[in-house]
Amino acid sequence: MNSPSVPSNDAAPLLELRDLKKSYENGRIEALRGVSLTIAAGDFLAISGASGSGKSTILHLLGGLDTPTEGAVLFRGQHVGKSQNGVPSIDLDTYRARWVGFIFQSFHLLPSLTAMENVQVPMLGNKAHSHHREGRARALLVELGLEQRLRQYPSQLSAGERQRVAIARSLVNDPQVLLADEPTGNLDSVNSDKILQLLAEIQARRGMTLIMVTHDPDIAASAPRHVIMKDGRICN
Amino acid sequence: MTLSFVGFAWRNVWRRRLRTALTLCGIGMGIGAFVALVGFSRSFEHAWLEMYENAGTDLAVVQKTFLNTSVDQSVGPTLLKIPQIARAAPMVVNMMAVTPEINTLVYGWKADTFEFSALKILSGRIFHDGQQEVMLGELLAGSLNKKVGDTLDLQGSSFRVVGIFRSGSALEAGAIIMPLDELQQLSSLTSKVTAFHVQLKPAPAGVSPQEWEQQAENAVASELPGLRAVPAAQRAANNQLVALAHAAAWGTSLIALLVAALGIANTMAMSVFERTKEIGVLRAIGWSRRRVMGLILVEAAALGAAGGVAGTALGWLALHILGALPQTASIASTTLSTSTLLDGLVMAMLVGVAAGAVPAWRGAQLSPVEALRHE
Repeated sequence: MNSPSVPSNDAAPLLELRDLKKSYENGRIEALRGVSLTIAAGDFLAISGASGSGKSTILHLLGGLDTPTEGAVLFRGQHVGKSQNGVPSIDLDTYRARWVGFIFQSFHLLPSLTAMENVQVPMLGNKAHSHHREGRARALLVELGLEQRLRQYPSQLSAGERQRVAIARSLVNDPQVLLADEPTGNLDSVNSDKILQLLAEIQARRGMTLIMVTHDPDIAASAPRHVIMKDGRICN
Repeated sequence: MTLSFVGFAWRNVWRRRLRTALTLCGIGMGIGAFVALVGFSRSFEHAWLEMYENAGTDLAVVQKTFLNTSVDQSVGPTLLKIPQIARAAPMVVNMMAVTPEINTLVYGWKADTFEFSALKILSGRIFHDGQQEVMLGELLAGSLNKKVGDTLDLQGSSFRVVGIFRSGSALEAGAIIMPLDELQQLSSLTSKVTAFHVQLKPAPAGVSPQEWEQQAENAVASELPGLRAVPAAQRAANNQLVALAHAAAWGTSLIALLVAALGIANTMAMSVFERTKEIGVLRAIGWSRRRVMGLILVEAAALGAAGGVAGTALGWLALHILGALPQTASIASTTLSTSTLLDGLVMAMLVGVAAGAVPAWRGAQLSPVEALRHE
């Protein structure tokens, strides 16, 4: 797959969070209380913290799933979402479709589709030819060791296999940033290790930026870069 | 193993098989009602046109006002003075019960009318004016088990069956034809007729048939104020019985289609609610609002289309049942035009899309984060 054209400002960091605040229920609940963070291309960053510390909120804002109450998320110097102060912006749908891949704790595969079909879903409706979609999905699943499981439905796959299908799906549009929300949270220790190793290999091989949220301090410590969240702030 | 957008939509529709099947039944019945009723009213119109064409009727002279079919019979000689007109046959049409179950069209003609040229007498003869005699279409004669020489009671009077005829039009094959004066008496229409059926003289050299017909229409309007000459095709489409059949068919069908639309809307709303989390996943992996909306609309259209196919088959079956029942055989034609079938399918898809619009919009408006949190 040809990589889509990257927003123009090459001097800017890949991702930048500027004094990010997020509150709910008219400010009654403050999930983020001013988070600033710079993430370079190729970083492998783990975000850890207790439940309610704001780590998932950061991931949602980084992934363009939600918008901040205050502050900004910048991707290569462009605002993700609405433009502010004349800074160019990138639309949320385009951002999610082209630059970001998501991996969820509960895999979130579509039960009525096979592994091959699940991987093709992000490409449906774009201009990719059907042969290209199929070839791309097959190549990724083979790369992740699922060549014998292409036609299986999620219910016929083990938890580890499901997460590998979800990883293949997250890679299908060739994103620059991979966001993983507790990717091992539903796996046993053996599968958990395998998935972590797989993610690290993918990140290294492709030179991608990997941002992983986890509540497990050991997993977080295994990442080259690690931030700890507490009460909506970075505390390390 | 290639997944297409439409294939994905169809998989989603088919996930809840029982609910989808029940929704399809609802749409099928709505579209079936549309195909059967509108198809019936259109074939009814077609049968009128066939009747005029077979008899060689070019124009029908009728009252200008709708629902008033009473034309003074004395205008006949005036019509014949119009240079374009060759023949003008007065006629009355009415609908009467011949048994408690069977209603049929009854035509009152003069014994010497040109309209007999379109009929083939299978047995017996043409009636005599002023006599209590009737001729039966072969379909009706079969339903009533009547033959020449038998008697038939109409509105309390007894009529002798003097002829059985065959006609290319379903409206005549299942009808009674009797002397004009006798039907006028039965219908309390003394010296009044429903219409004059007119045959034109051949158009002279240099005048097109359309111009010739237009000249005749203008002459009727000028010689007989209050009356108008209507081309046979227009008369077939606009006569009171056809107009009422069309109105009843569309009215009933629209109610049935509305019920079908509510069924689809309910199914799609439930489907969107149940798949809230999945919609969140689709948004998270890069689907735009527009693409989510497109998916739900395609699902609704697929439901409509599948219901349309089922409904069309159901409508076709219903029409054949109507055509076989003695109560309706005389007025129902089992011919379904391609346009009615296509209309049914297009209508089904439009109903699907319209019914899916609100659920699709709601699905597309879901916040990805809220949708992912949905349980």
